[in-house]
Amino acid sequence: MDTRELIERLQLKQLNQFKHRSIDGVFISDMVSDTMARARPGNLWLTMQTYKSIIPAANLVDVAAVVVTSGKEVPAETVELAARYAVPLLWSELPTFELAVKLHALGIG
Amino acid sequence: MNMRMIREALEASVIEGEDQMELPVEHVYASDLMSDVLAFGKPHSVLLTGLATQQSVISAHMAEFRGVVFLRGKKSTDGARRFARDHRLVLLSTGFDTYEACVRIEAIRKGTPAGPEAGADPRPDAELSLSRDFCIMGGDYANAGSVSTEVKSILKKIGLDPRLIRRIAISTYEGEMNVVMHARRAKARLTVTPAMVQVTIEDQGPGIPDVELAMQEGFTTATEEMRAMGFGSGMGLPNIKKNADEMRIDSRVGEGTSLEMKFRI
Repeated sequence: MDTRELIERLQLKQLNQFKHRSIDGVFISDMVSDTMARARPGNLWLTMQTYKSIIPAANLVDVAAVVVTSGKEVPAETVELAARYAVPLLWSELPTFELAVKLHALGIG
Repeated sequence: MNMRMIREALEASVIEGEDQMELPVEHVYASDLMSDVLAFGKPHSVLLTGLATQQSVISAHMAEFRGVVFLRGKKSTDGARRFARDHRLVLLSTGFDTYEACVRIEAIRKGTPAGPEAGADPRPDAELSLSRDFCIMGGDYANAGSVSTEVKSILKKIGLDPRLIRRIAISTYEGEMNVVMHARRAKARLTVTPAMVQVTIEDQGPGIPDVELAMQEGFTTATEEMRAMGFGSGMGLPNIKKNADEMRIDSRVGEGTSLEMKFRI
């Protein structure tokens, strides 16, 4: 599945413009250092962390997209940074656990 | 769903709480950000986290969770284990990552009816008044949470409504963490009257230049070290505002901050 289909199926909000790409697995963490150590390229990264340091981390790992969960408000500077580095930034109202369950039902990971 | 089923689904080892495996679990909350656990976690949940620290267990205790699962094979600290034992929380450890753990728990949750919702506890009939003073030390991360733990334990002994105790415990914990992270030291006072519980925390510290800004969700001056502990995500003061019936902050830059929280009984 790619990010375009994912956005549609789970009604995610897209916070910036980017080129759609395919998703390979899911990684969940709110710790930037964990993500840098353990997430793999192409993963969909679910996090409640909205601090701007998530963007360089996502860029470094080369995740397919970052999904901010739980309806957390994303600061403008995080969105700006995502736009500048073209890191796909998505948003969902669902808590992390509920979103993970839906992703699994879609056959991701 | 109960703790034993979760342990089996996650092939987890039991760090603490072998005798509490039949405890029913009503919700699952996955987070490494402790303020979010305090803000959005529901009572009788289990916390899934990769943050194997004492603060995770204290946060779960404040939010009335049943237990905590440390993920990705993270080793528990001695402090976390001791706190779980002293406060009767189940502590599990699994090698699975967060996503796999969510999926495995969902598989067993689907197959079992939701546990019975806990009934409302009887109102306390004891009308008593008391006042206690505490000291909070800035930078003392090893003891961070001890004052709010003590406050919670006192209120429990008095027999206040658990939902009220939870709001007071969460607010006090956020206030205490602010002192540990930002100030040099603080005096905290718990005052209970038949109508009201009040917690004040007066610190000596840098003060808050713009209180209105600090009250905004997501605004933070936290360092990377604080964030690594799951705090400093800009949720502390908003969390207190959400939980307290009345909240007042007075701050002088270079002198300190005084936080007053009131809760109606």
